[in-house]
Amino acid sequence: MLLADASVSSLGNTLAILLGIACLLPLCGFLIEIFAGYWSDRLSKTPALMAVGCIGGGFACSLLALILWGNATCWTALKADEHGAAHHSVRDDSAETQLALADEELHADEHSSAGADDHHAFHPEVEHHVASEEGHDDHAAEGLVPAHAVFSGTIYRLAKFGNLDITVDYYIDSLTLVMFVMVTFIATCIHIFAIGYMSEELTHEYVDHAVHMSDGHHLHRPGRFYRFFAYMSLFCFSMLGLVYSGSIFLVFVFWELVGICSYLLIGFYVERKSANVAANKAFIMNRVGDFGFLIGLMILWTSFGTFRFAEEIDDHGQAHAGLFHMVRGDKGLMRVSSETGDVVMWGEHEETLLDENDQPRTIPYYLLVIAGLGIFAGCVGKSAQFPLQTWLPDAMEGPTPVSALVHSATMVAAGVYLAGRFFPMFTTDVLLVIAYTGCITLFVAATIAIVATDIKRVLAYSTISQLGYMMLAIGVGGWGAGLFHLITHAFFKSLMFLASGSVIFGCHHEQEMPKMGGLWRKMPITALTMLVGVIAIAGLAIPVTIMGARIAFSGYHSKDAIVATALAFTEANSMHFLLFLTPLVTAGITAFYMFRLWFYTFAGDPRDKHVYDHAHETPKVMTIPLLVLSLFAAGCAIGGEEGVLYRLLSNSEPVGVAAGRMSGAGGISLPSHEAIHLVHAQAGTWALIVAVLGAFLAYVFYGARWVNPTEVGQSFPRLYRFLVEKWQFDALYDAMFVRPVRIIAGWFVVFDRVVLDGFLHAAASSVVHISKWDRRFDESIIDGFVNLMASVTFGIGRSFKKVQTGMLRQYITFIALGVLALFVLMLSFFPN
Amino acid sequence: MSDIVLLTSIIFTPTIGSIVLLLFHPKSEESMKNWGLFVTAVTFVLTLFLLKDFDSTQAGMQFTSTIPWIPHWGVNYQLGVDGISLPLVLLTSLISMLAMMASWSITKQVKGYLMLFLLLETGMLGVFMALDFFLFYVFWEVMLLPMYFLIGIWGGPRKEYAAIKFFLYTLVGGVLMFIAMLMFYFGSADSSQGILPTFDLLRLAEIGQGLVPGVTFSPTVQSIAFVLLFIGFAIKLPSLPFHTWLPDAHVEAPTPISMILAGVLLKMGGYGILRIAFPLCPYGAQWGAYALVLIGVVSILYGAFAAMAQTDFKRLVAYSSVSHMGYVLVGMAVWTIGADGVTVGRDYWVQGMNAAMFQMLGHGISSAGMFFIVGVIYDRVHHRDLNKFGGLAGLMPLYTGFAAGLFFAGLGLPGLCGFIGEVFVTLSAWNYSKLLAVFVASGVILTAGYILWTIQRVFFGPEYKGPHPEALTQMNGREIAIASVLLFFAVVLGVFPNTMFSLMGASMEQLVSAMDIGYQNAVQTVNDIQTTMLK
Repeated sequence: MLLADASVSSLGNTLAILLGIACLLPLCGFLIEIFAGYWSDRLSKTPALMAVGCIGGGFACSLLALILWGNATCWTALKADEHGAAHHSVRDDSAETQLALADEELHADEHSSAGADDHHAFHPEVEHHVASEEGHDDHAAEGLVPAHAVFSGTIYRLAKFGNLDITVDYYIDSLTLVMFVMVTFIATCIHIFAIGYMSEELTHEYVDHAVHMSDGHHLHRPGRFYRFFAYMSLFCFSMLGLVYSGSIFLVFVFWELVGICSYLLIGFYVERKSANVAANKAFIMNRVGDFGFLIGLMILWTSFGTFRFAEEIDDHGQAHAGLFHMVRGDKGLMRVSSETGDVVMWGEHEETLLDENDQPRTIPYYLLVIAGLGIFAGCVGKSAQFPLQTWLPDAMEGPTPVSALVHSATMVAAGVYLAGRFFPMFTTDVLLVIAYTGCITLFVAATIAIVATDIKRVLAYSTISQLGYMMLAIGVGGWGAGLFHLITHAFFKSLMFLASGSVIFGCHHEQEMPKMGGLWRKMPITALTMLVGVIAIAGLAIPVTIMGARIAFSGYHSKDAIVATALAFTEANSMHFLLFLTPLVTAGITAFYMFRLWFYTFAGDPRDKHVYDHAHETPKVMTIPLLVLSLFAAGCAIGGEEGVLYRLLSNSEPVGVAAGRMSGAGGISLPSHEAIHLVHAQAGTWALIVAVLGAFLAYVFYGARWVNPTEVGQSFPRLYRFLVEKWQFDALYDAMFVRPVRIIAGWFVVFDRVVLDGFLHAAASSVVHISKWDRRFDESIIDGFVNLMASVTFGIGRSFKKVQTGMLRQYITFIALGVLALFVLMLSFFPN
Repeated sequence: MSDIVLLTSIIFTPTIGSIVLLLFHPKSEESMKNWGLFVTAVTFVLTLFLLKDFDSTQAGMQFTSTIPWIPHWGVNYQLGVDGISLPLVLLTSLISMLAMMASWSITKQVKGYLMLFLLLETGMLGVFMALDFFLFYVFWEVMLLPMYFLIGIWGGPRKEYAAIKFFLYTLVGGVLMFIAMLMFYFGSADSSQGILPTFDLLRLAEIGQGLVPGVTFSPTVQSIAFVLLFIGFAIKLPSLPFHTWLPDAHVEAPTPISMILAGVLLKMGGYGILRIAFPLCPYGAQWGAYALVLIGVVSILYGAFAAMAQTDFKRLVAYSSVSHMGYVLVGMAVWTIGADGVTVGRDYWVQGMNAAMFQMLGHGISSAGMFFIVGVIYDRVHHRDLNKFGGLAGLMPLYTGFAAGLFFAGLGLPGLCGFIGEVFVTLSAWNYSKLLAVFVASGVILTAGYILWTIQRVFFGPEYKGPHPEALTQMNGREIAIASVLLFFAVVLGVFPNTMFSLMGASMEQLVSAMDIGYQNAVQTVNDIQTTMLK
C-alpha cells in the first residue's frame, strides 16, 4: 500500500512538474520577447521562433504528461470495459454505512435517497468516478493508478489568516491533461500561422491603412512583430495557468490575466480607435461578469473557508475536504437538512463536517444557489453568453490569429471549462439558469450570424452560438457532452478562423464577404480546409455506421451528444421543451450560415474583380497549420462517445452525473447516461436532417444563387435591421449603463465641488467674515472703549493741566486750603 | 548596534542630512541633489538593517527603547517597531528615496526644497516608530509644516490655496487628536491609587483593553475618543467626506511630493487607526465599526465615480487614491459581533485587517507609481489635460509599458500588488455585511472603467493632440530606474504577498486578540454598572 501510494504521488509530482513547465515556458518566453524585442532589431523573426519554441515545448511536456498518465493507468481510460463493474466494486463499506446514517438524520433533497440507491445498484460507475486523491483508492494497491484519480497539491502560500489558508494549488485530472494538450497544440499551430500572418509587421515602417492622421496621411509606425508574440506567450501562460489551477481563487487570478491578455491583443493596433474601444469593452464587460464571480467567491470563502477543489493536507498533516467533497461527498449527493433547508457539508471521511461548537457545518441553500450563479456570471462574461455577449464580435478588431486562439478556441472556452470544473457546486436551479442562458445565447447569436457580412464576425457569432451549445449541455446535465464539444469546437473553430485569416491575408485585408466569391480557384488549400471546418461545425454526416459510430467530422459527434442530452432532459422535464427545440432549430441555422460563409467566399463568380485579381494563396507557413488543424477538426472525435477523446474526458466526470439527479429543489431531474443513450440515435437523426436542410438552403441562396438573398432581406426590412443591429444590445447597454455611469460620475464631481468644497469655502469665508466682524468689534467697541477711557483720562488730565500753573503762590494757597479742609473734616467726624 | 541608536539614526539621518545641506553653495544644485539622494539611500539601507534583525514570529514591539524626555509630564522618547509599523517604515524610506530621485526636475530654490524634503522624511519615519503619544503628536506636526511649504512654494498655479487647504484640514485633525490625547493622558491616572498619567501608547492600550487594574477608559470615553481620533485619521486617509483637500494638494504639489503624499502620508491615517484608535478604544472601534465600513464603501464607489469624470490626469489619480483607501477602512472594520457578544468569524476579521494593511502597502507602491507616471509626462509637455493626450504608446513605448504596469497595479490586476489587498478585503467583507460586501465588490467594474478609459485617452489613438509634441522624448535612465523599482515591487508583492503577510501576521493577530479582549472587558464593565444600578 505504501509503495503504491508512493507511486501515485510520484506520478502526481511528475505530472505537476511537467504541466508546470508547460505553463511557465510561455511566461519566460514573454519576458524575453518583450524586453529583448524592444531593444533589438524590428526585422528579426527570433521572437516568433522563441514563442513557437516555448509553446511547442509546452505541447511536448503536456503530451508527455498525458502519455505518462496513460501508462500509469494502463490506459484503462480508453478500454471498452471501463464501465464494467468488475474492478470497481471494491469501495469500502464504511462510507456506505455512514451515508445510511446520515440519510436517517437528514433527508437528501437533491435525490430521493431510495432512487439514488437504486442507481448505485445499477450503475456501479458512480463509484468509479470518485475522485480519489493522492492514492487513497484501492486500485493503488494493485500498483495501478485509477484513471479517475485527481492529483492535487500546493505550490506555495499566498497568505494564512488563522485557519484560513490561501495557497497556489494545482489540480490535475484527465480533463486538465486534455485541456493542456489541446491548448498547447492549437496554440502551436496558431503561432506558426501567425509567423506568416504577422510578417507585415517585420519592418521599421509599417503603414496602417486603417488609421488616418490629421494631415490626411496613413499612420507610419515601426513594426510590432515581437510584441504580438510576447502577448501571445503571455496569453498562453495565463490560459494554461487557469487550467492548472487547483482552487477557484487561483482560477479567478488567471481568469483576470487572460482577460488582460485579451485586452492587450484586441487592442493590438492601439492607434485604431475601434480597436481600443473594443478592448475596453471586452475587459469591462468581463469585469461585469467578474463582479458576480467575486460575489460567488465571497460566499464560498465565508461559508466553506476554503477555495480548493480537492482536499488539502494542512501543516499538521491533517486532511481537509475540498469544496467539491464538502458539497457532494463521495457519491455526488448533496444533503439538504429537512429542518432548516440548509445544505449540510461532508467531511473528509464521509462524516458530517462539524464546526467549533460541534454543530453540523451548513450553508443555506439559497446562498449556494447565489454562489453558483455568481461563479456562472463570471463564465457568462468570459464565454460571451447572453446578456454579456456583445464584446466578442467587437473583439475581432484584433489580428486574426488572436481571434483564432483567444476568442474562439481557448479563452472564451474558459467559461465553459469553469462551468464544467465547478459542476459539483451547482445546484439544479443553477444548472437550469445555465441551460437557459446557453439556449438564449445560441439562438440570438445564430440569428445575427445569418445577416453578418464581415467574415470574421460571422465566425465570432458562430463562436458565441457554439459556446451557448456547450453551456446548454452542461446545464441539462450533459457534462461530458459540453466539454466534448468544447474540445472539438476548439479544433474546428481555430481552423476556420485561421482559414478566414488566410483569406483576409490573401485578399490584402479585405474582410467583407460581399466583395469576395470564387476564391477557391485562387486559394484551394484554404477553401478545402475551411470546408472541413464548415462541415464539422454544421454537423453533417454520412448516415452509415461503421463500428457503431457514424462517419462524420468532429462537430457532428459532439453536437449530437448535446442534442441527445437536451432531448433526454426534455423528456424528463417536459415544460422545458425549448431547451431541446431551440438547439435543434439552431443546428439548422448553424449549417445555413456556415455554408453561406463558404459559398459567399469561395464559390461562384467573383463579386469584386479587384479583390479577386489580387488574391493569392498564402505561404506554406500558413497553409500547413491549416492542413494539420483540418485533420484534427475532422478526426479528433472519431468514434463519438465510444472514442478516445470522450473516454478521456469522461474520467473526470463529477461523481453522480452518470446516474443523473433525480429530483432537484425546483423539480428538475437531470437525465442519466442511460436515458441519454436511449434517445441518442433519434436525436442524432433529427439534428442531421435539420443540418442538411440548412446547408441546402445556403446552397440555394449563395451557392447556386437561385434566390437573391438581398431581396429576401428587403422583404422583411424590420427584422433585417433588427438582426443587423445585433438585436440592439449595444444601444440598450449604452442607454442603460454607460450613460448613467457617466452622469453619476459627473454628479459626484459636482457634489465635491459644490457641496463639500462649498461647505468648506463657506466655512472659510464665514471665518473670514467673523474675523472681519471681530476686527470691527475690536476696533470699534473694545478699542473704542479703551480709546474712550484713554481720552477720558486724557481729558481729565488735560483739565487738571490748567491747575498746574507752575505758580508757587497758588500751590501754597491750595495746600493751605487743603490742610484747612482736612482739619475741618477731622474735627467734624471725630469730635472727641 | 544598539536598538536606540539604530532607530534614532533612521529617524534623524535625514535631519542631519538637511543640516549638512546648509554647507553647500546654493548654486551647486546637482551636488545637493546627489547628497539628498545619498541621505535617503542611507536611510533606506538602515531600515533594511531593521528588517534583517526583525523577528516576524514575535508579535510585540521590537527594538524598543525609552529615554525620559519631559519627565515632569511623563513624556518619553520612546521608539519601537512591530509587524504593523515595520512594513510602513520600509515603504517610507523606499518611497522617499524614489521621490528624491524624481526631484531632479525641481529647479527652484533647490536647497530649501531638499532641506524641507529631508525634514519631512524625519517626521514620517518618526510617526511610524513613536510609541509615546506625545512624541507621535510631535512628529505628526513636524511632518505637517514641511509639507505645507513644499506644496505652497514649489506647487502649481493654485499652490497657496492647496497648501492652506491641506494645512487647515490636517491641523483640524491634529487638534482632534490632541484632545483625544489629553483625554487618555488624564484618564490614565488615578491619584487616589498613586497611578501617574502616561503618554505610553502600549500602556494606554492596556488600559483601553481593561487589563490594568484600577484605571479604565469607560465605554463613553472610548466612544468619544474614537470619534475624535477617527476624524483626525480619516482626514489623512482620506475618506469621505474629509477628502477634498487631497485632489487640490495633489494637483498643485510637484511630482515627488505627490508621490510621498500618496505613497506615505495617506498611510498615516490607516496606521494611526491601527496603532492608536483601535487598541486604545476597542469598544469605540466596535461601536463605530458599521460607520467605518460604510464610510469605506462610500469612499470606494464615490472615489471611483469621481475619478471617472475627471479631465485632469493628476486629479484622476488623486480620486483613485480616495477609492483605494476606502478598502483600507473596510478591511479594518469588518469586526462582526454576534448576538451573544462574541466575535463571529474572527479569522475573516483577521484577514480584513491584514488585507487592509497590505492594501496600504500596495497602494503606496502603485499610487506613487501612478503619480510618477503623470509627472514624467508633465515634465515634458507641461499639461495634464486628459483630452489633449493620445498616441503616447507609439511615441514613448517604454514609458507606456511602465505606465500600463503601474496602472494595472492600481486596477487590481492579479499578479500585481493592488489585487491582493482589494480582493482579500472584499472577501473578508461578506462575513460582516452581505449588502455592503456586494457594493465593495462592485468597485471592480468602476475601477476597470476609469483606469482603462484613462489609458485609452492618454496612450492610445493615432497621434498626440496636445501642445509641445516635440518635447515627447523617451524616458531617461533616472526615470527608468524609478519606474522599474516601483514595478518590481508591484510584481513581487502581487506574486508573493506572503512576504508581507508573514511580516505583519503575528502583530495583527495580537492586535485582533487584544481588541477582542478589550471589547469584552468594556462590555463587562457596562454590565457590571447596570447590575449595580439595578441593585
